[in-house]
Amino acid sequence: MSNQQTTVLIDKVTKRFGEFTAVSSLSLEVRAGRIFGLLGPNGAGKTTTIRMIVNITAPDTGAITVFGRLITPELQDRIGYLPEERGLYKKMKVGDQLKFFAALKNVDAKEADERIDRWLGRLKLAEWKNKKSVSLSKGMQQKVQFITAILHEPELLILDEPFSGLDPVNVELLKEIIFEERAAGKTIILSTHQMELAEKICDDICLLNRSHKVLEGSIREVKRAYSRNAVALRMEGGEEALSDQSLVSKIERHSDGIEVLLAGKTDAQTLLQRLLAAGAKIERFEMIEPSLNTIFIEKVSEA
Amino acid sequence: MKKFFAVVKREYIQRVRSRMFILITVLGPLMVSMFGVVPALILSIRTGGPVRIAVVDQTGKLYPVLYDSLTDHADMQGATAGQAHANVLNKSAGQRLEQIGDQQERRFELEEVRPQQRPLHEIKKELSARVLAKNLDGYLILPANLLQDGKPEYFGRNTGDVFTTKFLREALNRAVRQERLTEANIDARIVQELSEPVQLDALRVSADGGVRDSGEGFALVFGAGFIMYLTILLYGQMTLGAIIEEKETRIAEILFSSVKPFTLMMGKLVGISLVALTQLAIWGLAFVAFAVYGVGLLAARGMPVHLPNVPLVAFVYFGLFFLLGYFVYSTIYALIGSMVTTAQEGGQLSMPVVFLPFIGFYLFIPVSRSPDSSLAFWVSLVPFFSPMTMLTRIVTQTPPFWQIALSLLVGFGTVALFTWVAARIYRVGMLMAGKKATIPEVVRWVRQA
Repeated sequence: MSNQQTTVLIDKVTKRFGEFTAVSSLSLEVRAGRIFGLLGPNGAGKTTTIRMIVNITAPDTGAITVFGRLITPELQDRIGYLPEERGLYKKMKVGDQLKFFAALKNVDAKEADERIDRWLGRLKLAEWKNKKSVSLSKGMQQKVQFITAILHEPELLILDEPFSGLDPVNVELLKEIIFEERAAGKTIILSTHQMELAEKICDDICLLNRSHKVLEGSIREVKRAYSRNAVALRMEGGEEALSDQSLVSKIERHSDGIEVLLAGKTDAQTLLQRLLAAGAKIERFEMIEPSLNTIFIEKVSEA
Repeated sequence: MKKFFAVVKREYIQRVRSRMFILITVLGPLMVSMFGVVPALILSIRTGGPVRIAVVDQTGKLYPVLYDSLTDHADMQGATAGQAHANVLNKSAGQRLEQIGDQQERRFELEEVRPQQRPLHEIKKELSARVLAKNLDGYLILPANLLQDGKPEYFGRNTGDVFTTKFLREALNRAVRQERLTEANIDARIVQELSEPVQLDALRVSADGGVRDSGEGFALVFGAGFIMYLTILLYGQMTLGAIIEEKETRIAEILFSSVKPFTLMMGKLVGISLVALTQLAIWGLAFVAFAVYGVGLLAARGMPVHLPNVPLVAFVYFGLFFLLGYFVYSTIYALIGSMVTTAQEGGQLSMPVVFLPFIGFYLFIPVSRSPDSSLAFWVSLVPFFSPMTMLTRIVTQTPPFWQIALSLLVGFGTVALFTWVAARIYRVGMLMAGKKATIPEVVRWVRQA
């Protein structure tokens, strides 16, 4: 598949629940074979957008096209979905549940058996196949739920907060699988608040805030657009220069330094002069690309 | 369709395999039979020795007759039972209870106290003292004019023992009647033979002459209604639980991303109904096996045995209306399940539902009295009541076919509508997770979705 193909096209979609507008005139394009990050604070409209893509709920106005067609129940079989709020049948054996979910996606029973064994093995759950899901730890349950989303080999995989509650080892394992899926030409939509992870995984992102899209593009483009006004600092003294709002719009303190975002028209040179004038002893002064987290917080608090 | 069957299969296999199902299947009939047997057992427990009664016979001639009447009663009952043995199986619970009482109180120890010119109040005082000292249970005073219009009196320690009082009264009645007859020179045996009651045969008018209808059809409707009611209670709760489970465990969202809500809801209802039918079939087969064995025993002893006189088509209607009744109520439970968020809420909201089939159950009395009345017509079209009332009409005075068909159509149409509505509420309710729905909200959900 070429990167030019579009898997999901959202065209001026609005969804209201009574008085509340969850998604407002949203347009998006998710390209095939890429990992698309749907980012935003709680209540921004991410989950509603996803639910419209998987045909759980329909938009009030606008259109959603998946695989070049308006979404229908038949297309659901080509989508894998891991919801943020997910569950398993408590008293059902892991293997039986997976088989049931596979059947709901029209996977042939024999084929399903093979895939279940393969995936349970891959996620180190093989010995849990005949255990009831109540006996599984939360992390293990989450891995089982991940298998339900991927078992029918969907062309579009939608993961809502897939990493929450997983230990670092399993986060790595999941990342590995996501990259494999992309390599196999699958499209992945990832919704998360974990910016560090999104930054490392996603090819493209879209930032939603209060039902509106506030930012969109490939990670490269987005970061480049913000790169000119971020400075990493390590210094002693001269702090008062940073409190000038006309100079610095945002300060983020880390354990080994400070990251500042320059205000409006200020350039880095001006800041450096001001800091020196204020008597700062500078150890590090570097123009950097801001982290996705910084951009996220700035964009969200701007609105 | 494949997805529908996947849902049905999951519901069915998971439930039939569960320990609860096996337990109820085995224990259910045991519990029902306990309801029948335990009260009888308790009632038949004999506590203490025989009832000791002193009789002060001022007539001077009634004591021997009363003695016979109280102690020989067992033989007399045997004689009447012989004549009426065909009716034994049909005795109502009330009759059976009396019978048990009779058996229990058959043992009396009588003692005659002769007045011998002593004043009555003195005798009473003496006997009362003995009763209080517990070497007597009570005493009976028969006034001298008892055979005319005198009133006997019984003084006992325990007048709350209704069986003893009733039994004494009857024995006294018999004794007095017999004595009066003897005085009038009439043989008691002849009187008994002459007062043998008439048996009224109820025949149903049909094209090929009269058909004996000894109420089997009626008993079948009653039985079907009873089983329907139990099934609704038992499996309605299961339907409710199944739907709430998917909400509480948050599986619903994954399901809706794979299957249409209507397919899911229908699949669940059908799956659970198959569980119910499996259980009923197991019980039914066990019952038939016992019945065949029992009837065989009776037939071997030369008892006349005949099968219920109900046309075959009525059994088909039984099946259809049973299913209708089951599905109407399980969709109501499904509706409730789709509206609430927790099992507790569901339990509260489903309480009033229990009364609906109860009303239907009792409507069969007016309907059976006048099966062609307009009341009977209308209630047999209302899906909540039609299973019971239409069945009553079919066995009493079969209505025209179009009415039966209409009743089934309306009923199953309602089932489909309820399922559809429940599916919509279920889906939208899931999207609004955590919020308890108000009725106007639910109405809006059904329209939007």
